[in-house]
Amino acid sequence: MTRLVQSLGAATLDQLAHLGRMGLFLVYMIRGIVKPPGKFWSVIKQIHFIGTKSFFVIGFTAAFTGMVLGLQGYYTLSKFGSEGLLGSGVALSLIRELGPVLSALMVTGRAGSAICAEIGIMRIDEQIDALECMAIDPYSYLITPKLLAGLVCLPLLTAYCDVVGIFGGYLVGVDLLGVSPGAYLSGVENSVVWKDVYMGMVKSLGFAVLMIWICTYKGFYAGVDDGNFGPEQVGRATTNAVVLSSVSILAADYVVTSILL
Amino acid sequence: MGHRDLIDVCGLNSHYSGRQVLFDIRFGIPDTNITVIMGVSGCGKTTLLRHLIGLKRTRPEQIMVDGQDLGKFNEEEMRNYRRRLGVLFQSGALFNSMTVSQNIAVPLKVHTRLSDETIRIMALIKLNLLGLAEFGAFMPSQLSGGMRKRAGLARALAMDPEILFVDEPSSGLDPITAAGLDRLILELRDTLGMTIIVVTHELESAFRIADRLIVMDRGCILAAGSPDEIRASQNERVLQFLERKADTAEINTAGYLSRIMGNEITRSGR
Ligand SMILES: Nc1ncnc2c1ncn2[C@@H]1O[C@H](COP(=O)(O)OP(=O)(O)OP(=O)(O)O)[C@@H](O)[C@H]1O
Ligand SMILES: [Mg+2]
Repeated sequence: MTRLVQSLGAATLDQLAHLGRMGLFLVYMIRGIVKPPGKFWSVIKQIHFIGTKSFFVIGFTAAFTGMVLGLQGYYTLSKFGSEGLLGSGVALSLIRELGPVLSALMVTGRAGSAICAEIGIMRIDEQIDALECMAIDPYSYLITPKLLAGLVCLPLLTAYCDVVGIFGGYLVGVDLLGVSPGAYLSGVENSVVWKDVYMGMVKSLGFAVLMIWICTYKGFYAGVDDGNFGPEQVGRATTNAVVLSSVSILAADYVVTSILL
Repeated sequence: MGHRDLIDVCGLNSHYSGRQVLFDIRFGIPDTNITVIMGVSGCGKTTLLRHLIGLKRTRPEQIMVDGQDLGKFNEEEMRNYRRRLGVLFQSGALFNSMTVSQNIAVPLKVHTRLSDETIRIMALIKLNLLGLAEFGAFMPSQLSGGMRKRAGLARALAMDPEILFVDEPSSGLDPITAAGLDRLILELRDTLGMTIIVVTHELESAFRIADRLIVMDRGCILAAGSPDEIRASQNERVLQFLERKADTAEINTAGYLSRIMGNEITRSGR
């Protein structure tokens, strides 16, 4: 019995230590914004990296999501004879929910995993140690530029996702199923208010922090706990990072929605 | 030799998740000297180095730098200490997303306000010093193992450090290049007055460059002193190391058996 309690306590302490370390990591990552070295060019480079990695896959996902929304929306709405609402239905679901969530998930899958692997490789190859020995703050030099790039990229990619999705819905609803183009577009225009856009942007900024935080953290501590710096640790860290980021993004989506709605 | 000790290791113990790998290590590192650390593979040389450069946590009062306690350094003090260091890692640890010259430029870009052109020239000078002038535009993955080591050394030298730590600089190098590296290390001491700590297996090279030699075995120091003192040592293990004799198979049947049996028992117990 005491053994059980003991091991339970040890596991709890372990988890608490992990959480503490993760929190500290976030603090260092944010502190890096005001610390040298200057990071203009490295941020640009990261924006390029995240952008190119995710641009096409998000466009693709958004187009098909918009088309499915158009299709499903049309058949549901036509039961009530209100096909004219299709535009507002598609636009609202995209701008409030699907745009931010889908973009964040796609960026996690494409860029987040690559970022985690990159940092994990630097960890197991002693490159992060080398940075520290050069008196360079690895958080400020490596992690913060990725955070800033994520904060720039994700809202832009979300907006792009929203627009492509709305046109996907247009394609199916108007060109295929015969909703009038005016009704669709005015539906979009009349129903979307600033608050919806605001909500989407808050979400995408939050998801950016969450995703970069988790992916860089997992890479940064790849193998550290086991004291084993083999290549398989990078693979494991990357998988963990993608799963944990995706789950947290979905959970955070619910929380943000319930607060802002 | 009339040198003061820049770094003083006074009773260093080190553990990896409960397993002790360094036992009460004591020695001094005099400044503007070359200290060579030798020992069989796995005896704890790299671990010792990681303590000295502050990558592995050191308990208070086990390492003193300039009379100050490395174990009690705060972030600021650690950063100031590290700005005096150049480190070559056993693996080279080049940043694999950058070319060799960009690697060397990293510390210069972060710590100085020199123009890009000046930094480019300084990187080229360091590359030249190590015979890598043509390879500045190569990615680390395009270099051979020995070249990677030399590029890592070029990066360690980028800021002209006061103290240089090198972990096995000549492993994987041919005799000619290795001899060139030895000469470079001697020159760095003589012309720039660097304090240099070298970990190496190469006996010949060790005796050629060392002002002080430290022979380690299984986490302890076997012998320390000038090359002549080490050569005159009567310690059995030291002699074995110097004469490159393989370990005679230890006759420890009981331990061996119990290890096998232990495995047996745990297996059948499952
Ligand atoms: N990250 C680690 N986790 C657990 N044990 C480790 C770790 N790194 C090293 N060790 C152990 O510490 C001991 C000393 O290792 P170290 O790397 O210091 O040896 P070394 O003298 O540098 O060997 P080599 O000459 O082969 O580089 C070894 O027994 C090794 O198993
Ligand atoms: Mg070693």
